[in-house]
Amino acid sequence: MPAIQVTNLHKNFQTKRKAVGLRGSLRSLVRAEYGTVEAVRGLSFAMDPGELLGFIGPNGAGKSTTIKILTGILFPSSGQATVLGFVPWKQRRQLAYQIGTVFGQRPQLWYHLPAIDTFSLFGKIFELDDRETSKRIAFLAEAFDIADLLETPVRKLSLGQRMRCEVAASLLHKPRLLLLDEPSIGLDVVAKQRIRDAIREMASLEGVGVLLTSHDAGDLEALCKRVIIINHGQIVYQDKVSALKRTFLTSKLVEVRYARQVAPDFHIAGTETLKVAKERYGVKLRFEARQTPVEAVMARLSEVGSVVDITISDPPLEEVIAAIYEQAERSEAAIAK
Amino acid sequence: MNEYHPTRTPAWILLIMRELKFLLAVWKTNIASAMEYRAAFIAQMLGMILNNAVYFIFWVIFFDRFRDVRGWELSDMFLVFGVAASAFGLAAFLFGNAFYLSEIIARGRLDYYLSLPRPILLHTVASRSISSGLGDFTYGILSYLASGYCTWDGFGRFLCGVVLACMAFTSFMIIVHSLTFWLGNAAGFAGLALNAMVTFALYPVTLFEGFSKLILFTIVPAALMGALPAEFVRAFSWGALGKLFLGALLLLGLAVLVFHRGLRRYESGSAIQVEV
Repeated sequence: MPAIQVTNLHKNFQTKRKAVGLRGSLRSLVRAEYGTVEAVRGLSFAMDPGELLGFIGPNGAGKSTTIKILTGILFPSSGQATVLGFVPWKQRRQLAYQIGTVFGQRPQLWYHLPAIDTFSLFGKIFELDDRETSKRIAFLAEAFDIADLLETPVRKLSLGQRMRCEVAASLLHKPRLLLLDEPSIGLDVVAKQRIRDAIREMASLEGVGVLLTSHDAGDLEALCKRVIIINHGQIVYQDKVSALKRTFLTSKLVEVRYARQVAPDFHIAGTETLKVAKERYGVKLRFEARQTPVEAVMARLSEVGSVVDITISDPPLEEVIAAIYEQAERSEAAIAK
Repeated sequence: MNEYHPTRTPAWILLIMRELKFLLAVWKTNIASAMEYRAAFIAQMLGMILNNAVYFIFWVIFFDRFRDVRGWELSDMFLVFGVAASAFGLAAFLFGNAFYLSEIIARGRLDYYLSLPRPILLHTVASRSISSGLGDFTYGILSYLASGYCTWDGFGRFLCGVVLACMAFTSFMIIVHSLTFWLGNAAGFAGLALNAMVTFALYPVTLFEGFSKLILFTIVPAALMGALPAEFVRAFSWGALGKLFLGALLLLGLAVLVFHRGLRRYESGSAIQVEV
């Protein structure tokens, strides 16, 4: 049985519409007009137990709405969904014992109290006995490297420290599934890396499935085996992360530094010049590896002058995902026409 | 042969025990959170006692001039003020979020409570402790002690009356704040309702007759917070206890119903929030 099964899920929100300014406000006071926003439009997907699934999309794509339906916070407008065999909006309480949730923008830790107090409260909420709670806290403190932070009031923790405590708190009752909504939002590179490492370690250690929403492709690369990309409430792409890379990461980026200044109109056949830097004689270019072999590009670059340094890399995954969004939007616009 | 059958605790008692244990843990966390700022906690508590005392001076001056209002004397005022202040204080201290429910709903802050496996309404309203409530509660007891109706059994009735009045008042607050599910934000309306409830609860009930008295038992059920529990404290009567109990229970039932009906319309939100 899949851990999550979603079929043709829809969620609409009613929003009040009004014209700009005071006149618009007065008019809407007399006769309010309402519109419908389709946050989720016919979403269908499945997730296996223990799977690490990324749910990626730009702001307003419907990621958080979907995760809120799957945790029982929101009722869907139509469609079906089961999470660990429970219908979330009908069996919210039973489901909550089996899942852990982290909302990046909605901290669960009590702000004025040390994190350990929230951990203890969660122990009572999930009906663990005191000894079990203490043992679990000690285990999580080590796994997330938060032993020194637990007795500090949450308000005095950095965002990265707090998020590690948040994720640890969500695992206190040994959930079978972890639903993470933007867990790395606002974190710096180091803090992001630490939280990703801890989540990955816990997932492999306890076999917890992870559904992660993010608009950061780094989360996806570091944590997930499979990805679903959504935009405007619809799935625009779903496959393994490796397949995504294979299909879309076909171009290469090259950064070259020459011993002498190169011409401002620098061009190599079969490549696109992105930048010619005056200082340090650097050049940045891109080429399609399927059309122009790497050796050919290397040879042509050497012909121009003496190469001091060279780096060949894949374009960032963000660019790939942005390209997928654009592609989806273009085809949507074409259908609309 | 005689077999030993251990007595089994009924399921509903186990359920109540379970939820009480949880409630106790939430209250302990609330109090710990409120006491993080010790000076502010004590200042709010003492400030509220002083505030109530200053307000009550008006009634002392009033009854010094007029002696009684349709049979209602200063001692009755002490008593009704005692019950209402303690009930209000108890509600603020134990169910502080009942005063902020509109904001919680409108800002999508129910998400936190909905993601945890506990009764949503109980968990939400019990998750905040307003420190000044303890001042109101204490002032209420002092006011009762000064009323002249003070006996041991009277004090027992006072506590019982306060608990039922607190239940009625909290339920009323939940009902008006839950209108946010339909109105978008009922905080202003709930503020008016709160003022009406407290003001009418503190007025001499002998001032009201007929239709206005009916309103005090129904639309703005202030009688359940002031006059009725005070009557019960003055002298035990099954009638007063029955009316008080039934009224509080009906309001509680209505509050649970309205809140859960509204919850289906809940739209969440993406504002940043913290649990305090």
